[in-house]
Amino acid sequence: MKKAIFITGLLFSIIGIAFAQTGVKKKRPLPYEFGRVVINNYSEASNIAPVVFDHWLHRAKFTCRLCHVDIGFAMTAGASDIKARDNINGYYCGTCHNGTRMFGDTSAFSSCKEESGSMNATCDRCHSLGKNVTRKYDFREFVKGWPKERLGNGVDWEKAEEQELIMPYDYIEGVSIKRAKLVVQDDFKIVSKVKGMPNIIFSHEKHTVWNGCELCHPEIFVGIKKGLTQYSMVSIYEGKFCGVCHNNVAFPLLDCQRCHLQEVK
Amino acid sequence: MKNIARLFFIGFLLFNFWGRGFIVGGSLNTVYAQEQGDWKQEYAEICAKTQNAMELSVAELKDRIERADKLQERINKLEGPLAETEKKVFTKRLKMCRELYSFALEYKEHKE
Repeated sequence: MKKAIFITGLLFSIIGIAFAQTGVKKKRPLPYEFGRVVINNYSEASNIAPVVFDHWLHRAKFTCRLCHVDIGFAMTAGASDIKARDNINGYYCGTCHNGTRMFGDTSAFSSCKEESGSMNATCDRCHSLGKNVTRKYDFREFVKGWPKERLGNGVDWEKAEEQELIMPYDYIEGVSIKRAKLVVQDDFKIVSKVKGMPNIIFSHEKHTVWNGCELCHPEIFVGIKKGLTQYSMVSIYEGKFCGVCHNNVAFPLLDCQRCHLQEVK
Repeated sequence: MKNIARLFFIGFLLFNFWGRGFIVGGSLNTVYAQEQGDWKQEYAEICAKTQNAMELSVAELKDRIERADKLQERINKLEGPLAETEKKVFTKRLKMCRELYSFALEYKEHKE
C-alpha cells in the first residue's frame, strides 16, 4: 500500500515538473482559424451557440476602419456588448446584415430577425460554435491564387490589395461620415533594445490605408512624443500596442522581419 | 339656418381648442423629430475632420472637443425604442473622434 502511494506520488511529481517546465503549449491557429473571434456576451445564457466571427472573410471586403470606427465595433471580443436587438435596430452586424444592403451583386443576409423564440438555419450561420455548419465561403477556394505569406492566414493581404485581388469597401452610405482626405503622417524609426536586432521602421501610410487615425490614437497608442512610450515585446505579446492587431488579425508577431527592417550596421 | 350657424360655431370652438392642439402637437413632434435627427448631423459634422486632425488649429480642435462633450450630453438623454442601442453605438463612435482630437490637441500644445 505504501509502495503504491509512493509510486503514485512520484508519478504525479514527474508529470507536474514536466508541465511546469514546458507549460501548456499553445496551439498555433490554422490559416482559416487565424483572426477568429468568439462572441458570447449573451448567447450561452440564452441557450444559443456563441457567435463565431472569422476576420478573413470580412477583411477581404472591408477596411478595418469601416467596421471598427464607422460602425463602432470594439477591438476586443465581447467589448461591444452586442445584443440581437442592436442588430435588429440596424447597428453593429445589422448595419450590413439586414437582407437589403448590397455589396456588388450580393446582399448581406439578414441577421437576428424580429421573430421571437425561433432559431433557424440563418441564425446558425453566425451562432455556430460547436456546431457543424457548412460555411458559404470555403477559405481555400476564397484565397486561391492570392499572394502567399508564411504565417497568419497565409495570405499577404498587402500584396493582395496592391494587385487589386481585394478592393475593400471603406465607406457605407448612411453610416460612414464624409471625411476630409487623409493626411498621412511620416514613417518613423523605433530603436530596438536588443543589440544586433534591426530597428523597426513603422509605416504610417500602410496602417492608415486600412485603419485611419482614430483606430490607433489614442486608445492603442497614447504617447504624443516620440520615445515617451516604452514598448517591449513582452507587452506586445500580451496584446498591448502592436499586439492589439498583430496577435490576432494582422500578420503575426512571429514574422519579425516584417517590422524589424532597418539594416544592422 | 340658426342650427347651421350653431353647428358652425361649435365646430369652430372645437377646432380652436382641440384641433389646433393636434396641429401644434404635430408640429412639436416634427420639431422633436428634427432635433432627434439633428444630433446625428451634429455628430457627422464634428467627426468629419478626423482624417486631418493633425492639420487643425488649436482653436478648432478645442471647439470640436467642446461640441463633442455637449453632444454626448444630448446622446445620454435620448429616448425612444432605439435609444438604448443608439446611446451605446454613438457614445463609442463619438468617443473615438473626440479622443483623437484631444490627442492632436495635446500633441500641438506639447510641441509649443
